[in-house]
Amino acid sequence: MLRGGMPGSAPIIVLSQNTKRESGHRVQLMNINAAKTIADVIRTSLGPRAMLKMLMDPMGGIVLTNDGNAILREITVKHPAAKSMIEIARTQDEETGDGTTSVIVLAGEIMAEAEQFLDQNIHPTIIIQAYRMALEDMIEWAEKKFSKPVDVKNETQLATVVKSCLATKMLANYMDLAVKIALDAVRTIDVTKHGYHEIDIKRYCRMEKIPGGSIEDSSVVKGVVLNKDIVHPKMRRRIEKPRVILLDCQLEYKKGESQTSIEIMKEEDFSRALEQEEATIRKQCDEIIALKPDLVFTEKGISDLAQHFLVKAGITALRRLKKTDNNRLARVTGARIAHDTTDLTEEDVGTLTDLFEIKKIGDEYFAFVTSEKTTAVTVVIRGPSKDIMNEVERNIQDAVNCVRNVLLNPRVVPGAGALEMALAHALNEKSKSIEGVRQWPYKAVARALEVIPRTLIQNCGGSTIRQLTALRAKHAQNADKNWTWGIDGVTGELNEVKDPDASKSWFSWAKTDMNTLNIWDPLAVRIQVLKTAIETSVMLLRIDDIVSGTKKKDANSEAVMPE
Amino acid sequence: MASAGETLLALGGKRTTGQSIRTQNAMAAMAIANVVKSSLGPLGLDKMMVDDVGDVTVTNDGATILKLLEVEHPAGKVLVDLAQLQDEEVGDGTTSVAIIAAELLKAANELVQQKLHPTTVINGYRFACKEAVRFIQENLALSTDDLDRTSIIKAAKTTMSSKLISTDSDFFAEMCVEATNLIKVTDASGKATFPIKAINVLKAHGKSSRESMLIRGYALNCTRASEAMPRKIAGAKIACLDFSLQKSKMHLGISVVVEDPSKLEAIRREEMEITKRRIEKILKAGANVILTTGGIDDLCLKQFVEAGALAVRRAKKVDLKRIAKATGATLTSSLATLEGDDEQFDPSLLGQADEVVQERISDEELVLIKGPKARTAASIILRGANDVMLDEMERSLHDALCVVRRVLESKKLVVGGGAVEAALNVYLDNFATTLPSREQLAVAEFANALLVIPKTLASNAAKDSTQLVAKLRAFHYKSQTEKENSHLKWAGLDLENGNIRDNKEAGILEPMISKVKCLKFATEAAITILRIDDLIKLDKVEKQQHDDECM
Repeated sequence: MLRGGMPGSAPIIVLSQNTKRESGHRVQLMNINAAKTIADVIRTSLGPRAMLKMLMDPMGGIVLTNDGNAILREITVKHPAAKSMIEIARTQDEETGDGTTSVIVLAGEIMAEAEQFLDQNIHPTIIIQAYRMALEDMIEWAEKKFSKPVDVKNETQLATVVKSCLATKMLANYMDLAVKIALDAVRTIDVTKHGYHEIDIKRYCRMEKIPGGSIEDSSVVKGVVLNKDIVHPKMRRRIEKPRVILLDCQLEYKKGESQTSIEIMKEEDFSRALEQEEATIRKQCDEIIALKPDLVFTEKGISDLAQHFLVKAGITALRRLKKTDNNRLARVTGARIAHDTTDLTEEDVGTLTDLFEIKKIGDEYFAFVTSEKTTAVTVVIRGPSKDIMNEVERNIQDAVNCVRNVLLNPRVVPGAGALEMALAHALNEKSKSIEGVRQWPYKAVARALEVIPRTLIQNCGGSTIRQLTALRAKHAQNADKNWTWGIDGVTGELNEVKDPDASKSWFSWAKTDMNTLNIWDPLAVRIQVLKTAIETSVMLLRIDDIVSGTKKKDANSEAVMPE
Repeated sequence: MASAGETLLALGGKRTTGQSIRTQNAMAAMAIANVVKSSLGPLGLDKMMVDDVGDVTVTNDGATILKLLEVEHPAGKVLVDLAQLQDEEVGDGTTSVAIIAAELLKAANELVQQKLHPTTVINGYRFACKEAVRFIQENLALSTDDLDRTSIIKAAKTTMSSKLISTDSDFFAEMCVEATNLIKVTDASGKATFPIKAINVLKAHGKSSRESMLIRGYALNCTRASEAMPRKIAGAKIACLDFSLQKSKMHLGISVVVEDPSKLEAIRREEMEITKRRIEKILKAGANVILTTGGIDDLCLKQFVEAGALAVRRAKKVDLKRIAKATGATLTSSLATLEGDDEQFDPSLLGQADEVVQERISDEELVLIKGPKARTAASIILRGANDVMLDEMERSLHDALCVVRRVLESKKLVVGGGAVEAALNVYLDNFATTLPSREQLAVAEFANALLVIPKTLASNAAKDSTQLVAKLRAFHYKSQTEKENSHLKWAGLDLENGNIRDNKEAGILEPMISKVKCLKFATEAAITILRIDDLIKLDKVEKQQHDDECM
């Protein structure tokens, strides 16, 4: 609220009474605190010794996760700066699918580092310039110096990356399985057409959760799995090499769009009208039967009468599919979705499918449409409870995204805090050559980066100061050689991140050589973490005034001011 | 509570008159200006606005800040409108205009307290404003007809220097100039105009602001209607439709009554056939990209898929209008012909483009229309950490685009960093002494009020504003009195180092029109408020009754 006044008169009210305004140093401190608070919430979810969080929503449902984005999504915050922090986790998730916890922790730390400079009355714009400079340098170093190319054809190397991604997740106990699922799934949907490299996880890689069984029973199905049963019990439940027709229209009588009414004068007219409805369905079915399909899928309904005709023709039919499922089926079967039975042609029939089968799993029926050569995939997730399966789904999603990132940008960086430490060391060195006040905030970015190895040590109960100083020393001794040294997140010890021996398979290698870590993250993920964290803190640091209770953008309250 | 000028009216309202209202107005204006003051200049900071629902806006733009503030005081509202006006007219300088207007009011109030009649002050202000504008145009403008690209980029950079994207201003300035040049339109009289609105700015979060990109073509935030459609069409022929390709139906309330049951089926068929025939006509005309504002029935998608055409449904009408302009297409709202007998789709209604392609950016898919035939088009895709940031980037970019447009249109620049204001101050101060009338005082105050800009710039940068401004004035005095030192008129503030430097060399440039309009608007607003000597505020409920009785 703004008040001005002159002595002896009433205060002049300029802004609406319910507007609250805070400005200056206080606001900056508040924003920093908000960022720190958010970072603290998920700090313990970083690294292989991460713990899950259980979140309860107002409806009583629970979410069980250690995925940064999933945690923050459920938290309701009031402070505007905290809201922006939460949003960056979402950005990170959408862009790369992984690294959501790191980005928040790092952004919180970068903000916290700025506090001391603000206390010293260094102008925020100076801090921001230094942060930006640091970001540019870091990206360059990460791309050129601290990363290595990965051979996307080499399963072992890819498995390493997926493993690093999953090590922090609940699925870590089922590593072999999860790695296999992620690799299989992405390999299947990886297509190049019209010179366009497409890995469309959203559309063509679906997760189907089937309660019951154990997590080990999860698998990748090359094709589509539908939670549907056949419409008529007499239909065939297992067809090899079926001919498939996909429909987007109903096989039942439906009135036209316009409002029509019929006035019946004669008795026979009534039965004629009924017959006509029957005839329409019969015609539709005949048109389908003429193409001799074994399988018919439709997005709409199938009336009893139509079912009857189809059963008689030995055709299996499934109804009420989702649009997205139908699109995937089109990819598996090679069929073209027809929207009207009248213009069905031979080309519309899909013949690529190897097997159609209805299986009863638990209490429900599932239709499996599979093909070896398909480019659509379904990951069947099994598990004891819904919440666990949800978490497994999130984990696999992360793993799948991780594979995609590597395939699209085949460079990896050492994980386990090694990249952060290497960058921190490089920033420290460079900072000495920077003139003016900017040197300090520039150096602060280096300190902020150390939060990642530090949190790793903290989360597994290691001796923070001893290990961190040892690691810092290691990087300082020989920056060119020791840039892969990081923290073993399980033991809290110092360790070197090394290449797996390409001649051995990853799993046997891991068992024989326990002394080195083998954690490599996709470059795209780590760079995005740096970019998002710095850009957000830059935005928040620029703020020196918070006005709350302002009006909505469009609602302009009219002034009452007669002449 | 009641002061001398405040009397209770019989109507149940409140009346404030005379000096009391003038002081009130001046106070209110100062209060408004104080809100935006700290966001001025390259070292100004941002404001975070939280509305009652909790939505956050982070901004540095004066007009946006004031728009979001719930200002109640009538004089304050005039200032808010003023900033809005500047935003619409020039697009930049919204903060300075509010600050100058408030300063002018404050000065005027003091003059009136010294028993100078408001009309004299008003006359003086008008006079000073006119003189100032003349001086800018004659002495301070860099009339560079052969405006090279670098100075346009510099002007764009100056605008962005105070914004969130200041560190990337090189990158964005290039982008703005490029985009503005792409949308250049030369009208019949040979005058080039730059409709900034034609630049489509899309926002997608993810990546960093550096990865924002300029697309030479039009980006449409839609996806193709069916997965089976081609992703890329070269040599596109584009049909822009403003109607749905859905099963046609009668309007509500019209009911078709038939007697023969077989007719019922015929009606049903016909509903589908009408649309099918329409699509056939469109496809026959050679269209391979169909954009419509309405829906497309799944039923009809097959026709497009079979023809290998790309159809997009539910595109925004504004987008389609622009696409139509760029590609030379005609936005068709119906297929009916003038003859009225049959529906037609003429091939001349089609627009052309080199390529139409759907691309994935972040998590979203966009349809890009590249290389439109009739006119070049530009779209900018902004990337950034989160939505709040993207919104602010868009506002900053809009300001920069406006500035580039103004420079390209008027081809005149002035030097920024407080140089113009200081020069005007010195000039008007001298000019005032030549006036024998009472206006002399008002003109002198006007001159002083202008100094608020360099003062605020310096104090935002945490520099000694008094000393810096004194130094700056000394430079300008020299330039105006001594011929050989006339180059000193480009002297402005160097806020990084707290020095005076040649801002022409440093590349701190602003479009002249922005400064001139800023002065004019601020003076007008100050005068409007200054003329008020009576404020009657009626109670809301009372007013309603009063109205009823009267009318």
